[in-house]
Amino acid sequence: MSASTESHFSISIPDSQLELLQRKLSLVVFPDELEDAGTAYGAPLSDIKRLVSYWQNGYDWPTHEAALNAELPQFTRDIPVDGFGSLNIHYVHKRSAVEHAIPLLFVHGWPGCFFEVRKILPLLVDAPQECPSFHVVALSLPGFGFSTAPTKKGFALNQYAEVAHKLMLALGYDQYAPPSHKRPLLLISHLLSYLPFLGYTEREKAGLARSLDFLMTGSGYFAIQSTRPQTLSYGITDSPVGLLAWIYEKLAASVEDGKPFTDDEILTWISIYYFSRAGPAASFRIYYEVTKLEGLGALATQESTTIPLGHSYFPNEAISLPRSWYKVPNLIFESEQPSGGHFAAIEEPEALVADLRAMFGKAGPAFGVIEGKSGFT
Amino acid sequence: MSIQGETPFVITVPHEQLSLLSQKLALTTLPDEIDDARWDYGAPLADITRLVNRWKNGFDWRKQEAALNAELPQFTRDIAIEGYGTLNIHYVHKKSQIKGAIPLLFVHGCNFHVVAISLPGYGFSTAPSKKGFEIPQYAEVAHKLMLALGYGEYVTQGGDWGYRITRKIAELYGPKHSKAWHTNFPISGPPTISRPLLWLNHALSALPFLSYSKREIAGFERTVWFQRWGRGYFAEQTTRPQTVGYSLTDSPVGLLAWIYEKLVEWTDSYRWDDDEVLTWVSIYWFSRAGPTASTRIYYEAFKAADGKDMFSLVVHTKIPVGYSYFPKELVISPRSWTQVPNLVFQAEHEEGGHFAAYEKPEILVGDLRKMFGKGGGAFGVVKDKNGYDA
Repeated sequence: MSASTESHFSISIPDSQLELLQRKLSLVVFPDELEDAGTAYGAPLSDIKRLVSYWQNGYDWPTHEAALNAELPQFTRDIPVDGFGSLNIHYVHKRSAVEHAIPLLFVHGWPGCFFEVRKILPLLVDAPQECPSFHVVALSLPGFGFSTAPTKKGFALNQYAEVAHKLMLALGYDQYAPPSHKRPLLLISHLLSYLPFLGYTEREKAGLARSLDFLMTGSGYFAIQSTRPQTLSYGITDSPVGLLAWIYEKLAASVEDGKPFTDDEILTWISIYYFSRAGPAASFRIYYEVTKLEGLGALATQESTTIPLGHSYFPNEAISLPRSWYKVPNLIFESEQPSGGHFAAIEEPEALVADLRAMFGKAGPAFGVIEGKSGFT
Repeated sequence: MSIQGETPFVITVPHEQLSLLSQKLALTTLPDEIDDARWDYGAPLADITRLVNRWKNGFDWRKQEAALNAELPQFTRDIAIEGYGTLNIHYVHKKSQIKGAIPLLFVHGCNFHVVAISLPGYGFSTAPSKKGFEIPQYAEVAHKLMLALGYGEYVTQGGDWGYRITRKIAELYGPKHSKAWHTNFPISGPPTISRPLLWLNHALSALPFLSYSKREIAGFERTVWFQRWGRGYFAEQTTRPQTVGYSLTDSPVGLLAWIYEKLVEWTDSYRWDDDEVLTWVSIYWFSRAGPTASTRIYYEAFKAADGKDMFSLVVHTKIPVGYSYFPKELVISPRSWTQVPNLVFQAEHEEGGHFAAYEKPEILVGDLRKMFGKGGGAFGVVKDKNGYDA
């Protein structure tokens, strides 16, 4: 479809940027912290100090850069977007050896990243014989990772969808399966009104409590990013520790009941934001543009889609609602996972892949959804 | 003559701090900006770039420091707060030549002895180190300061958090010590059924004879604008002050932008001079407890409010109160909503915003003179100190 050509891409951060980062870190000034603050006030000082110290001394970006490049075949290509000119989109693309593998588009969120695909990629692409295989595309959304960002106002959900869709077409996949990495956030407006709690399972009640807690205490980032992203952008762009804390708070919250991320994982994650092509703050604008267009409840509305839909429910997700609230006619697959949080593909790769295999496999409800690409030879 | 326990204070930022700031500024990395963003997304890149350049080259902190020290006689003293140990509190204290001058506590002069406190965690006061330090504690510090200065009876003026704190002072320490209070932040949420006539009027305000005035409608529009677009900082500071604190503490441009947005959006077309902005931000940057400490009042007060809207409750205090209304304040209620039994003074103005004392000092002082002067609703509230000699 697109006449634009694909270029191979390797992450290659210039030494000058690495040096500037170290110079900034050497001048770091930390805030104090209240006694026994725990995580209630935000990212704990001892965690941040430990991470900054390691970032200055011990953490080796070039090693992680090389690992990412080795694991993830990356490319860039120009994608035109109606009204916004051309963006240069960065993506991972790996084809299965199975010719009729299912083309799968993996879409990250915020503060997510293309590299969240790294653990599920080999499992999807090289499945055992009895499981479906996938050709996998994982893009950096515009303004994230190594994609460029739009420069004009108004780049909202339709535009992000347009970029992703045109990318799949450009890669020759005119039919594909786009399970979003994030479950749809369903903040229903009457969530906070009185609702009968009878008939909800323990898990559902816990999920509701967790959701309320997130809304009341964990959504400050959403409020500032959706109203004054530029004001926030100066500190986050200028200060590596500011960026670290802003994202670390969310990473830590996701795994608070599970296995923590390693310091290497955290710093690699933050580094991708720090070294991102458009700067870390470009990633905030999706909040502004979408909520400006659709209202602050934008993420709450359940848009009706007609294609088959599958859900995986992870217990430590930020928003987790009673299952009856999610029911739509095209919801053909649901799975309750025993552990894991918001960044499921990184935290619970085998579980997520098992769900995809169950949904798309021979006995699955979405088997054969793409003609000629069943996932099997 | 020095009052016991008081130490004169002069702002003297150590050279190493100036040097560190300079090094950080030299490494400033700026974000990009959407085309034609203007103010839609937040503090504009052109403004911040210009301010950073001035901060690096041309802004002279020592000159500003000297000017502040020359204009404002400052002191520090230890104040003990129940449950929190002792804090070292910084304040301005200027006595009037008139012996019968009224002691006025200005939170966040002529006929007044003026005390202007740096709240704990702000300016050159220390900050509490334990959780839970909120409105009653701020009130306690301010009240104890006035007592320590020999002002057993006093009046107060406050806006923003100063409104909440002086109202609490009125509740806790009036009428024995706090004799009257004035605020430029008189706010109220929509009337509930507990005020039936107001509630009914509000419910039926679509009807022409019950409709609000143009000015009141403009007030609603400003309020709605603020609620929809201007409260991101509030959401973050009330929930995760530590997280945002890292950028505010480590990045001068981060702190600059965070505050500058409010200096512009919250004022009534005030013509900020770059050096004024940079002085204001520098005080936060060089503050004794660091800028993060200043955000915690949001967290603690919000937590203590436990889900109730912190700002919508109209509280009747036993002492006289006065209100000044400025058109670019952030939450503007119809006057009918803010009436209380002992409201002895009200004035509506055609200009001015949230930082009324800074933007429109003559207007604010004019209101205080009317309220406390001869013939005013709060004349003579402080025994033997009516603001005049004889």
